[in-house]
Amino acid sequence: MIPCTCIVQDGQISAESEATLRSKLDAFSTKAFGSSAEINWVTVPAAGGFTASKPSTSSIVSIRPSAPIDQETRATLLHELCGFWTAETGQTLNEIVGVISDPMPA
Amino acid sequence: MPLYSCNALPGAIDDAAKPKIAADITRIHCDVTGAPPIFVHAFFFEDAPHQPLDDSKAFLFGSIRAGRTDDQKAQIADQMRQSIHTHAGIPLEDIKVITQDTPAKWVLEGGEIMPEPGEEAEWLKRHHRSESGD
Repeated sequence: MIPCTCIVQDGQISAESEATLRSKLDAFSTKAFGSSAEINWVTVPAAGGFTASKPSTSSIVSIRPSAPIDQETRATLLHELCGFWTAETGQTLNEIVGVISDPMPA
Repeated sequence: MPLYSCNALPGAIDDAAKPKIAADITRIHCDVTGAPPIFVHAFFFEDAPHQPLDDSKAFLFGSIRAGRTDDQKAQIADQMRQSIHTHAGIPLEDIKVITQDTPAKWVLEGGEIMPEPGEEAEWLKRHHRSESGD
């Protein structure tokens, strides 16, 4: 399983969109990293999110594959990830932060 | 990025304190590192299982771009701990602040790989964004 943490603002994403995104993240992880996603969906409580000191509309999606990947592949995957996220949610690219890490050192 | 995630005991940081602490987090990070405010996210949680409090009453975890010095990280931790103490009234010894380096090249924001520290101006210019996000 590939750890995947999604941090979203309260009320920002409907239950239907969340289900769709979970499905797409799982398919993305399986295709890109050969294993399904272990999704930790975290909601920032109302009035608890700030970006540049203002109420935030940003989501953060962070994935940690089990093996390192080269930077060209990482960039391509990040664009794909943020692309399907914005298409589903209607957020702009300025409202989504995607992270694909290398594995934690042993 | 940076993302500052603050977990606290229920009621330990009230809703009036959160925007004040978020403003301080943003100002402190930008003053110490020179990064633009538009990059700074500050999210508040209560008793969140993804960020255990252990023995603390408030735990601020900052995922910041790699490349900051140990002195910069110490300034960030000290000043942000003081801000939480000032606005929420939590004793300093009950507030934990930790930062973790994240390579900029691992992060896509604004549809583009994040710039390395100090290389933000061109990134912002390409995105037609001011430092404050207006």
